[in-house]
Amino acid sequence: MVNVLEVLLICVKVVIVSLILFMLPLPLTYMERKVAGHIQVRLGPFRTGPHGLLQPFADMLKLMFKEDVIPAKADRFLFKIAPIIAMVPVFAVYATVPFGESVTIPFINKELTLYISDMNVGILYVLAIAGLSVYGIILGGWASNSKYPMLGGLRSSAQMISYELALSFAAVGVVMMANSLSLLDIVKGQYGWHWNIIYQPVGFFIFLIAGVAEINRIPFDMPEDEGTLGAGYHAEYSAMRFAFFMLTEYVAMVTISTLGVILFFGGWDGPSFLPGIVWFVLKVVAFIYLFMWVRFTFPRYRFDQLMTIGWKILLPLSLLNILVTGLVII
Amino acid sequence: MNKNEKCNISIRDLLKKVFFVDLIQGLAVTFGYTFTKTITMRYPDEETWVPYSRFRGLHTLNRNKEGRELCVGCELCAKSCPTQCITVVPMEDKTGKGIADRVAARWEINLLRCMFCGLCEDACPTEALRLGRQYELAGKTMQRQLRSKEELLGPQPVPFDFEGGVITRARLERDEDGVVVKADLSSQKRWW
Repeated sequence: MVNVLEVLLICVKVVIVSLILFMLPLPLTYMERKVAGHIQVRLGPFRTGPHGLLQPFADMLKLMFKEDVIPAKADRFLFKIAPIIAMVPVFAVYATVPFGESVTIPFINKELTLYISDMNVGILYVLAIAGLSVYGIILGGWASNSKYPMLGGLRSSAQMISYELALSFAAVGVVMMANSLSLLDIVKGQYGWHWNIIYQPVGFFIFLIAGVAEINRIPFDMPEDEGTLGAGYHAEYSAMRFAFFMLTEYVAMVTISTLGVILFFGGWDGPSFLPGIVWFVLKVVAFIYLFMWVRFTFPRYRFDQLMTIGWKILLPLSLLNILVTGLVII
Repeated sequence: MNKNEKCNISIRDLLKKVFFVDLIQGLAVTFGYTFTKTITMRYPDEETWVPYSRFRGLHTLNRNKEGRELCVGCELCAKSCPTQCITVVPMEDKTGKGIADRVAARWEINLLRCMFCGLCEDACPTEALRLGRQYELAGKTMQRQLRSKEELLGPQPVPFDFEGGVITRARLERDEDGVVVKADLSSQKRWW
């Protein structure tokens, strides 16, 4: 009987987390437009609803009712399945991401953990699964049978290889500090303001730069470079398949923000006048704001510059970071 | 780049690169702009632009202080019009005032042909015809674009002694012919 309840609870948690992730692009697109607007001394969306609040819903309706165009010479099966391949891994990552330690449900006095599962290889799982998402982008670019999407897909694969390494190595420093691969233990190790950002500033900056490259945002949005590639890998996509790609991008951005908060900013640790989950959300929102802020400040890097930064600076620096961390810990 | 040039990179530049000084300066600029006042004009629902008095918008026909219309039906505006969009039919008013007797029986302008060059305004000897400041001229019917004397003689939404060049509060009003943006001249602001 107890087991049934446990399974039920996990199912409920999975559904809730999935629903939240599916709905995330609504507030995030609104936020992105408002941030862009105010940075550019504009207002952003203002006409749909009060302060343009209904704009994301209008966009959603538009995407739902648009025609789903498949190019005549496209590889139809791959073309259809590519957005799904891109989307599934970013959702799967949240199986192990903790949002807080645990809360007690009132009335039935049941302890409820604020994560779906606590894997002992959590960080490894997250980095490995999140990296799979690039297959969707490559396949989408390839299956479109069109020049620019294909170039976008190729760039995406090259970029992912260069930056996945630096990202993982940046996380290794944190793992060494926490002596554990479990995300829950990593956060627990940072309780009481012993946040890793203090001990691992270099690691954090490598993580941040590699993270921006990993989620394909300006200044490293080579796969969908509007200036040279039209819209890059999703140039031929429309309607809901395009929406899936957008959803993937936004959820990936949230994933990197969440990881950054868990690895370097103490997760849900904070002054006790607010519950932990609120601190967690606030920190994630701050991270997302940083990504948007960066997007509307910097121009795009050239592709060879991107590779130079990845291989010649970030990778050696992250290795050095691991070395120094190891020496200090010993 | 030869070896000498490489050595010339100063320590200051290197430190600047290592600590992302340029990037942080850029971020500071955009963050500052986030909290400045936006320059977006929320036209037409809330705000509208009232042009300067030199603006050449919809024609207006004026009256003198006694309320008599100034137009004497001389047809100079029609003659000077490059697109020939003005039709004037003069008539005698029979008030016994000589040349001031003449008025226009019919004064009509086809706004679809008009290019708002202002030559009619220059040609007018009695300053009866002036180009006003109304510029929302879209309508749903072709008939709407033929404006007659009776419409143009009406009171002006923006009086001529109003300096203009300001943004005012406004209201969008719809009628069967089209839409009108009504400016509230009591509230003025300049965005710069």
